Amino acid sequence: MKKLIFTLLCSAVTCLTLSVMAQPQTPPEGGTPKDFVLPAKQEVTLSNGLKAVVVPYGNIPKVVVQLIIKTGNMHEAKDQVWLADLVGMLLKEGTTSMDFKTLSQKVAGMGGEIDVQSGMNNVTISSSVLSEFAPDLIKIIGDMVINPAFPASEISRLKADLSRNLTTDKSVPQNIAAERFFQILYKDHPYGRYFPTQEMIDSFTIDMVKKFYASNYGALRSVIYVSGKFDEKKVFNAVEVALGKWSKGPEISYPAITNKYTKAEEIIDRNASPQTTIYLGLPTLMPKDKDIVALEVTNSLLGGSFGSRITSNIREDKGYTYSPRSTIQDRIGASVWYESADVTTEHTVESLVEIKKEINRLQGEPPSETELIGIKKYMAGIFVLRNSSPAGIIRQLSFIENYGLDDSYLTDRVKNIYAVTPEKVSQMTEDYFTYENMTLVMVGEKNLINQQMKLVEKIKKLK
Amino acid sequence: MKKPILFSFTAISVALVLLCQCGKIDDNSENSFKIPVEYYTLKNGLKVVLSQDKTAPTIAVAVYYNIGFRIEPKDRTGFAHLFEHMMFQGSENLGKMEFIKLVQSNGGILNGSTRFDFTNFFEIMPSHKLETALWAEADRMKGLKITQENLVNQQGVVKNEVKVNVLNQPYGGFPWLDMPQYANENWHNAHNFYGDLKDLDSAKLEDVDKFFKIYYAPNNAVLAIVGDFESQDAKKWVEQYFGSLPSSQLPAQPDLSEPRQEAEKRFTKEDKLAEKPAIAMAYKMPERNSTEYYAMGLIDQLLVQGHSSKFYLSLVQDKGYSGNISGGINYLGNMFNYKGPMLWMTDLIYDDNVSPDSIIAVVDKDIKDLQDNVSQADIDLAIVKLRSSLYDDLGDYYGVGKADLLASFALFDNNPERINSLESEFKKITPEIIKATAKEFLRSSNRTILIVEPKANLQ
Repeated sequence: MKKLIFTLLCSAVTCLTLSVMAQPQTPPEGGTPKDFVLPAKQEVTLSNGLKAVVVPYGNIPKVVVQLIIKTGNMHEAKDQVWLADLVGMLLKEGTTSMDFKTLSQKVAGMGGEIDVQSGMNNVTISSSVLSEFAPDLIKIIGDMVINPAFPASEISRLKADLSRNLTTDKSVPQNIAAERFFQILYKDHPYGRYFPTQEMIDSFTIDMVKKFYASNYGALRSVIYVSGKFDEKKVFNAVEVALGKWSKGPEISYPAITNKYTKAEEIIDRNASPQTTIYLGLPTLMPKDKDIVALEVTNSLLGGSFGSRITSNIREDKGYTYSPRSTIQDRIGASVWYESADVTTEHTVESLVEIKKEINRLQGEPPSETELIGIKKYMAGIFVLRNSSPAGIIRQLSFIENYGLDDSYLTDRVKNIYAVTPEKVSQMTEDYFTYENMTLVMVGEKNLINQQMKLVEKIKKLK
Repeated sequence: MKKPILFSFTAISVALVLLCQCGKIDDNSENSFKIPVEYYTLKNGLKVVLSQDKTAPTIAVAVYYNIGFRIEPKDRTGFAHLFEHMMFQGSENLGKMEFIKLVQSNGGILNGSTRFDFTNFFEIMPSHKLETALWAEADRMKGLKITQENLVNQQGVVKNEVKVNVLNQPYGGFPWLDMPQYANENWHNAHNFYGDLKDLDSAKLEDVDKFFKIYYAPNNAVLAIVGDFESQDAKKWVEQYFGSLPSSQLPAQPDLSEPRQEAEKRFTKEDKLAEKPAIAMAYKMPERNSTEYYAMGLIDQLLVQGHSSKFYLSLVQDKGYSGNISGGINYLGNMFNYKGPMLWMTDLIYDDNVSPDSIIAVVDKDIKDLQDNVSQADIDLAIVKLRSSLYDDLGDYYGVGKADLLASFALFDNNPERINSLESEFKKITPEIIKATAKEFLRSSNRTILIVEPKANLQ
């Protein structure tokens, strides 16, 4: 009975609401923006050259510690692809005084576990533990990098893991596309090497691991980041105790980029594939360039955000794809812009036509002030979010460290975003997003794509 | 293997707290981290949870509807998820793309996801835009304006989502989408909740209208607000924008129960895109919030979470069957954000020269060991790991992680304060309870095994 009365009452309210709301309402503006201050950092450089960057943040009783070493796949010889990964896996196997199980149980007792990621330019040894254990974790990480056991007994198992990963990774269409795309862009440069061969993995020995470690690890190349909630004094002491005695090791060195970019277009056949995986892009500006923020704004407006033009078109208008996006991928000394999408096979070429249309449209006509201010506010909002978590703060600080940027990159960022004009966006598209210069890799049902490619002429004629 | 971040409107993952003067919080754990929780219900039935956190000048607004894919219509598999997409397609005051642009152009991000027992929508925005976010969520709770064209568009998007995540992916759907279909008996728990493509195609505008009218009502939802706001402002706007929305007559919930499993089930699935075999083993979980349920939370830590776990040490380090193992309670979330029957599961990819039975034998040995030998020290270690992981959930995704737990506890238990008493529940578990729970729930007759047979090389 009670329920019935309630329902009737609500119906009456509904009628009232509907009549009042015949005219569309405008969303409320909200209040006055609050100031956002970048979390303060403290930096110390030890006598061996190792840097410590410490940023207290937030109220959750956890701490993130990351030791970032400026080495990685970039320092592999051309027949040693993934050797850096194997070195990272072996670091986790323990130290001269602690085997895997002991190490893992100690860190588990702090509420964490050790992760080692080998990337192109960086090897990152990280963990997130309960606050009170920050100094103990730092000491363990120090022991891992200074006194690795590199047990020969484990290498055949770890090589089998690499082989298994190689097989499974290579069966993923997005990986197949990315491998070929970066090969075309970087040729025989380390940045163009995505997968090893099985023979390379078979050839790895413990001596190769030890040699890679000796040639590439050391204090001069390393920065330890600590963020979250912790006792700063104890953390600085622990860094000194744990890492102060590490040998300097080699100077920082990056492989020079000498390859000249030449575009290419390729289809990699994947039988009965219901979608085509597309990678489309070209080299672009690097983080130190004066126009980098304008490039990033242009990217967000064109394809880099949910409301962007390409995504609105090929997803929200046409329904060709679920997850299209454009990205600026930075490596030390080289950056690439690309659009990637998994599109329904039968709409492969139509998707490309629409992407090209959107690029041409932005080249020919500056965006409206309204559209651009929306993108600028979005980017300013994202900037606040990126600096609002311990791991996010570390990502921002290691980015400026890696690319040799000064703090103004962060402190002036919002100002620089707002300074970009509609005309500048159009000019950036003209200068850096020329469709004809882009490399295109498609992974999918080759016959079906080729049939559609007859329409490619149509794309070429489009102005 | 990567944890699926699926059923997202875009492609981001998802993730609780109150001003509690009143909680019965365990005070023998000095490290316990308390979260402020304010909880009340509007006259129309909308549950509201507020949790202030001024760490950053941002707010997370999350609306959780008590409609998960378990209870979608039987002839419309995947409909709950398709409907989630419709919630972004236009309302009374915001046309197509306008909701998204409103959030983005005010410096925010947004998403939604469909899970076993809820569908959620959230925005993370600069704190001065709280009123804007609340207005927009209330606007789409009030009513949708969906055109046939927009429905067809999202059918295309969702079919592409299924293709990119399942049909065109090695191990696509394994085991997160597959296992519930093999392990469960009740249709509600055992159907393809991403949807058959033909069911997705047959959805009509009238289905959309009907579904909205039944489930998308304030008395079937929780609104959680986390972050930098003033309580009196938030309450004022919540009343202003949501207070007048009508409640609906909610249908009785279908029976979601699963019968007790009495015999092991074993299945194989051919995967034309995979090149290595894989195995998943799933055990039916004890009832949520029971003593055994908390014990399973600790067992999960001891058996499969992290490098110190039994399975990692035996299967990865000792035997070298795989480089990694996955496992846990609720592959589409965590052990807190579901309501109905659930599985505890583990899975790994291995090499052709290993037989699945040798993997099962190792798992059986580890389980037997747990059934016979558990010390208080083991439990203490499991609790530390669990507390640390809970703090990660609380800190996840700029407040959305906290909102997720708060909304789940409000939606399923009518008690978001639970967020502050979880640790004490785990501390009640003794070695004897662990052993008994492992004996009853980790019986081989309570499990389902699914093996992926790789067929990629045959093509």
